[in-house]
Amino acid sequence: MSRTFLNNNRGVTPVLSSLLLTVVAVAAMAIATTATYVITNNLRDTMSERVIIEDVWFNNQTRTIDIYIRNIGKTAIQVKAVYVNYTSQNFTKPFNLEIGQHKWLSIYEVWTPGSLYHINIVTTRGTHIEEYNTAP
Amino acid sequence: MVVMLSLVLIVLIVDNIVLWDYQMNQLDWERIQEKIEITAAVSEDTVSLFTIQNIGSQTAHLISLWILDNSITNHQRYDLNTFINAGDTFQLARSDIILPGTPYIVKIVTEKGNAAVYTG
Repeated sequence: MSRTFLNNNRGVTPVLSSLLLTVVAVAAMAIATTATYVITNNLRDTMSERVIIEDVWFNNQTRTIDIYIRNIGKTAIQVKAVYVNYTSQNFTKPFNLEIGQHKWLSIYEVWTPGSLYHINIVTTRGTHIEEYNTAP
Repeated sequence: MVVMLSLVLIVLIVDNIVLWDYQMNQLDWERIQEKIEITAAVSEDTVSLFTIQNIGSQTAHLISLWILDNSITNHQRYDLNTFINAGDTFQLARSDIILPGTPYIVKIVTEKGNAAVYTG
């Protein structure tokens, strides 16, 4: 009796195919959901970046350009690059700002009094903060 | 099940992109509406007085005060935590700030990222 039951394969294939289809559908949707979550979260963080320059100080003592930066956005930021007159410059690294945080960023660029400087600060997510300043 | 998970996807996209974009646009709009002016900065005995006028349609939250001394190129920052209603004028008195005798610039920054500048 039991041997006959075990050897009876009728009805197994539809069950297996339904099960397989369910597993594939759930797996595909899980991947899609995770991908959507990651992509939209990144987009949200990029949209949330707001950074301002409070002050630019051409420091006579240190001969650096000191920039006071405040994070007024809704996500933490990290400064990736600083350009002065379209040339990449060294600065205090790593430079991270939590939400609402503010501090000085020093650019190691020897400046000349009376010259015009275009300062461009770029975050890891690609936000630019640009300003023109004349050295005193 | 697929329909349910698709709904989850739609909720994720709407929450993270559409609503968030709306919120950030709202913040930017509020920032544009905010306008403050420094109408006077004087030193009286041991106190420095700054008259600030909110000429915008939003309440302004002042968070920073800068004194930029042009003669020695010194930039000094002071913390502020003052709210000024739309249309109001506020007189800020600080005993820890001494205005320089030489030409200087007073700068006040708001929480939304706007600034007012006064040259003395």
